[in-house]
Amino acid sequence: MQELLARIVSHSSGWIELRFQERSTKQIVIRNGILEESSSKRIQGIGVRALVDGVFGFASTTDLTERSILRTMAAARDAARTSSSAKKHRIKELARATMGVGTFPVATSDPLDEHSLEEKLALVTKIDERIRGGASTIVSSYSSYAEIQDEKIIVTSDGAHAHVFVSIPEFRVMAVAEMNADQCFGQKANSVAGGWSDLFSQLSPEEMADYAVRIAVEQLTAPHPHGELSTVVLDPGLVGVLSHEAIGHTVEADVVLGGAITADKMNQKVASELVTMVDSGASEHSPFAVGTIPVDDEGVVTHKTTLIQDGVLRSYLHNRETAAHFGVEPTGNARAFEYSDAPIIRMRNTYIEPGNASFEDLIAGIDDGYYMCGLGFGGQADSNAEFMLGVHEARRIRKGKIGELVRGATISGNAFDVLRSVDAVGNAFHWGLGAGTCGKSQPAKVDAGGPYLRCKATIGGRQ
Amino acid sequence: MSNETQLRARCQEALQLTKRHGADEVEIYAQAARVLSADIEKHDLQTATSQQETMVGVRAFINHQVGFACTNVLDELETACADAVKLAKASPRDVNNVLPAPVPFEPVANLYDPSAESFSISDAVQRAIRMIETAEAIDCRLVVGGGAFSSHLQMRCIVNSRGIELTEKSSLFTYHAIVTAKDKEMVSNMAFDFDASHSVNAINVVPVATRACRDALGSLGAERGESFVGPIILSPAAVRDILVEVLAFQLNAKNVLRGASRWGDSLGNLVASTSLTVTDDGRLRNGVSTKSFDREGMPHREVHLIESGVASQLMHNTYTSVAMGASNTSHSSGSARSVPNISPTNLLIKPGIPSREELIGGIKQGLLVSSFSGSSNPISGDFSGVAKAATLIKNGKLDRPVTGTLIAGNVFEVLQSLSGVSSETERVFSSVLPYVRLEGVSVTAE
Repeated sequence: MQELLARIVSHSSGWIELRFQERSTKQIVIRNGILEESSSKRIQGIGVRALVDGVFGFASTTDLTERSILRTMAAARDAARTSSSAKKHRIKELARATMGVGTFPVATSDPLDEHSLEEKLALVTKIDERIRGGASTIVSSYSSYAEIQDEKIIVTSDGAHAHVFVSIPEFRVMAVAEMNADQCFGQKANSVAGGWSDLFSQLSPEEMADYAVRIAVEQLTAPHPHGELSTVVLDPGLVGVLSHEAIGHTVEADVVLGGAITADKMNQKVASELVTMVDSGASEHSPFAVGTIPVDDEGVVTHKTTLIQDGVLRSYLHNRETAAHFGVEPTGNARAFEYSDAPIIRMRNTYIEPGNASFEDLIAGIDDGYYMCGLGFGGQADSNAEFMLGVHEARRIRKGKIGELVRGATISGNAFDVLRSVDAVGNAFHWGLGAGTCGKSQPAKVDAGGPYLRCKATIGGRQ
Repeated sequence: MSNETQLRARCQEALQLTKRHGADEVEIYAQAARVLSADIEKHDLQTATSQQETMVGVRAFINHQVGFACTNVLDELETACADAVKLAKASPRDVNNVLPAPVPFEPVANLYDPSAESFSISDAVQRAIRMIETAEAIDCRLVVGGGAFSSHLQMRCIVNSRGIELTEKSSLFTYHAIVTAKDKEMVSNMAFDFDASHSVNAINVVPVATRACRDALGSLGAERGESFVGPIILSPAAVRDILVEVLAFQLNAKNVLRGASRWGDSLGNLVASTSLTVTDDGRLRNGVSTKSFDREGMPHREVHLIESGVASQLMHNTYTSVAMGASNTSHSSGSARSVPNISPTNLLIKPGIPSREELIGGIKQGLLVSSFSGSSNPISGDFSGVAKAATLIKNGKLDRPVTGTLIAGNVFEVLQSLSGVSSETERVFSSVLPYVRLEGVSVTAE
């Protein structure tokens, strides 16, 4: 396939990008002891992007013959030509970039294919049973395993020739507890870019199950928080979600050009000087971040991009088109989920750099506040950085000590206001957003994380 | 795209192959689709795309053990058939894993417009441009930050070893606009609007762009609101975000079997105010989710889920209907890429008598929530989030737009105290919903 794509590109005229993708996925879902899904999927195809008269056109095919690829190239060019008369801003040029060449294998010593279907099914079954037996109030259990394995070949007429392999396993648990017709849930999910044993390197499946049960049960008797502006300590999971959802999307260059609040904030102070935020194609500070990609789907070698340096906005996230528009280097953020998706600007691993404070120091300074862990139900943010995040585990902090759980808590506000209020940054670092997918017209596997962070945010609750 | 005869032959071939590999019952579900899209980004036309794919999903049953595999690599269809059998062999037995037998029905008319065949990428581009032009004609402060016009032409085919053999062709045009208003330092919320049609002649993108522009301009200059506990009015979009997802979860028979729904034992009981009537109609004229039959080949029909506040019917597919000894309501959902699930089709809340203005007129201090950004927990019913494009109501009149206002409550509680349903309804994706007045909601100004 590599040779075929290279030959076709070398004989074509004008700028062209061919991206072959073969994806295999597996999923096992068990709920309440019943197997809800045991499935495998295999899809393959080629996505073609053409640039004609300063306009992109995109077409895809599942027929991998040379004749079909040439026909799909013609369809992509036709789509570009059709749009060109109506396009207001044509692409003058694509920014120069270091294009990926070579093979980029999965970095793991424990490939997923070396573990049988039976082994994976047995683990999911065992964990589902453990959740159901975890407490007398548990009425529903859920345990699932999913994996994505990709092979991509990206060839462009201006030098990319990359053969990229991806492996992403995910394990997820949920427990529902009930008392007096009132139900509450607890959950935990983990995902990595890596192999089987990498998936459980931080937390065993048993620990995940026990945590979900504990939170579900504890919430049954927990009060609702009061709606108020409060001092909070966010765990790395929520710091990641805040970085991704509330800040990250507002610095995607296409969103910036669409009118995001960051459009005129470059080189301005947007956060506390304690805050440095990064989006990277590598997995810094801790291994196996799910958004790790050596080469993006335009074939550009990825960079570590510092978005906010010591509180000052320093960069947006770019593809080759927006990089040329802003006169900067592409950051390697053009990503496509499947062969039939055109690459768009997406995050990879987004995080806040760790600081110096110990966890104990962060909590000790709070007379009355909240300790917030993990994303609960819901999470949304606008291009004006207004956000609302459901919190999975929220606890009161009183006189420097973590105390009782509150249920149904949310945090909200303007993400930049929250970052301006940061007065301490923890020294630990974890990834926390690998499970699940980010949605922006097409899914993407991303990760996000950071240290524990002390700041001010509005707690949603009952008046 | 494959024609009907070819697709049916592929499905029959896959059924026989799966049996040959050891399955005693088999279901093959295939979708051949052509999608043409013109995207809008940053107030300009973005990439126009053309996609074509045929996907085949195989469900293999061996002594009530089930495995599922799917592929778009049609030359290697037998691998998917063999994989499904292999997965079934490794799975535990569950006597509720059965396939349905054929049921006669009348196909839904007007799902397919033959002129959709000649609808081109250029036609899609023209519609997308029209949305940008509409915004420009309304106000120069408006930016169509995102949007799309898509033409979907689909043929689906289902065959199973119990005798179901069905095909259906459909066309669907979907279009949406995401609009932001920007005036110096002020940036509005992103306003979203959507519509769809099955026929070329019924496409009308102008109202979609106009409504999104109106909502964006309406939230510009919004200031801090007020804190109170009291009545709020939800727009149809907010009704969907706060109430419909919880209703759909609670009325899903799968969630009853899972022990995650509190309405499993509530059929025949009052679960909401008597002013609430909810139906689901998979045959709704021009409905986004309208089809003749569901993911398992069972014919769609109108189903009354809640009648005057009384929970009257759960949504079932074949598995849950067998497991619970209930009738199948044809709510099996999903694509050829997935195992059958359960979802509403076109969910409708019956309109009431008062108009939206009359609902507002009865409120001394309240909030009109045009859109909601937050979470509504389908299990506990707790909802909490930011009321977007919200407007304060004072002495029976809309007062001023407010921003950063949190609303919180519990869906099960507000359903009981729901005090008004408007006579006007709007399409929100596949739902058709009215404005709804809720009582005792906690409203917090940041």
